[in-house]
Amino acid sequence: MEELEYLRELNTASVCLRLTLAVVFGGIIGMDREHKRRPAGFRTYMLVCLGAALTMVLSQYEELMLRTEWADAFDAVGVKTDVTRFGAQVINGIGFLGTGTILVTGQREVKGLTTAAGLWASACMGLAIGAGFYECMLLGFVAIFLSIRLFPCIEDLAMANSRNMNLYVEFVSLERMGEFISEIKARGIRIFDVEIERSMDHRHLQHSSAVFYLYLPKKQSHTQLVTSLSCCPDVYAIDEI
Amino acid sequence: MLECFSSLRGMDLWGISARVVLAVLCGGLIGIEREHKRRPAGFRTHILICLGAAMTTATGQYLYVVMRYPTDVARMGAQVIAGVSFIGAGAIIMTKRRRVRGLTTAAGLWVAAIVGLCCGAAFYEGALYATVLVLVAEVFFSRLEYRLLRNVREINVYVEYASPSCLTGIMEHCHTSGVKVVDAEITKKGGESNSACAIFTLQTRKGSDHGRILQEIARAEGVLLAEEV
Repeated sequence: MEELEYLRELNTASVCLRLTLAVVFGGIIGMDREHKRRPAGFRTYMLVCLGAALTMVLSQYEELMLRTEWADAFDAVGVKTDVTRFGAQVINGIGFLGTGTILVTGQREVKGLTTAAGLWASACMGLAIGAGFYECMLLGFVAIFLSIRLFPCIEDLAMANSRNMNLYVEFVSLERMGEFISEIKARGIRIFDVEIERSMDHRHLQHSSAVFYLYLPKKQSHTQLVTSLSCCPDVYAIDEI
Repeated sequence: MLECFSSLRGMDLWGISARVVLAVLCGGLIGIEREHKRRPAGFRTHILICLGAAMTTATGQYLYVVMRYPTDVARMGAQVIAGVSFIGAGAIIMTKRRRVRGLTTAAGLWVAAIVGLCCGAAFYEGALYATVLVLVAEVFFSRLEYRLLRNVREINVYVEYASPSCLTGIMEHCHTSGVKVVDAEITKKGGESNSACAIFTLQTRKGSDHGRILQEIARAEGVLLAEEV
């Protein structure tokens, strides 16, 4: 326990330990994301976690200097530094970096939210590591790791068994969308809502598109439904979103 | 903290020179590796970011320690952390295949800024050790990253085909060989050759050979082309 108390203080040994821990734990979280081929890989998580830990260590260092080497300046001025000031900006900054990973595809689907959230969570873990809050680091790491590793199975299961389905469809001509709708209705599928976007530009061969919000009559494979619906003659492109 | 740096921690000419030189050195080391890989943010970008960040913390210290202004020494430097992430976000791009690129570059730029903050604050131990860790991550782990990518279970396959009916054939084929179709995106006319195409996201069994799966799909009836994307 005495060693742990020593490592909570700021000294060369604890600085090296914290930075190494940040790289290792950030890397392990990133490795799992990498397995799924998401844009933010292994090294991104590692770097973000390391940087966050370094900000916390840096502000502790400045506080230490105010107590030792610059003690006379501190006595004269009387203003303390805030040890959380550097770290507080990380929360902001990585949030902004994360927005770069979120994209709305041409098919009106939002992607990359989990990547942004995971990156942000690992930056927050880096802050805890840099502060020498080792218990929080362990618990936080386990929780982040489990939610990244285990919860996709639950999410997939919920998605596959869901009777709600969103379809993005491009049509050769919008006038004949009725055929597609009757094709859907023939399968007993209920249509909640349709969003239609007419193409104005005929020169660039941009097609009119629609997003259908469907409710399936029974549980069935979504991909099989998509392939069978793609056989309709006026469908140009189809995708589940 | 290490004793050997204590003569360089002051706000005199030696101390300032040490801060600036170290910032250029650390930024340059991180940058030259990126430059070597031909990433958009290279040698000079990293040096400039690192140097700029170092000047903010050094100025903060100067105002407090030398000029004795009642301010927080960390206030100026703290804004760098959020500010550089704006620059980094500009380096992130989305390709036409809806893949995100440049995220590691953005994260690397951001870390270079924080290393710069440490240099400017005369926190030499942290700056040097973090630079070593960044270089290890970039040089050593990037090799590991490519090895990991080879073992991924999820692959995207781009298929060009002649008739819509062969899609059901592909689906059945995947089903019998134990490959799960996670997502299917179908476009009737596309690609360069103007034939129908589709992108399948497949989840394979552990340790299965991607090349073999591609070959099997390419051999199915009516398929003109199958490629991994």
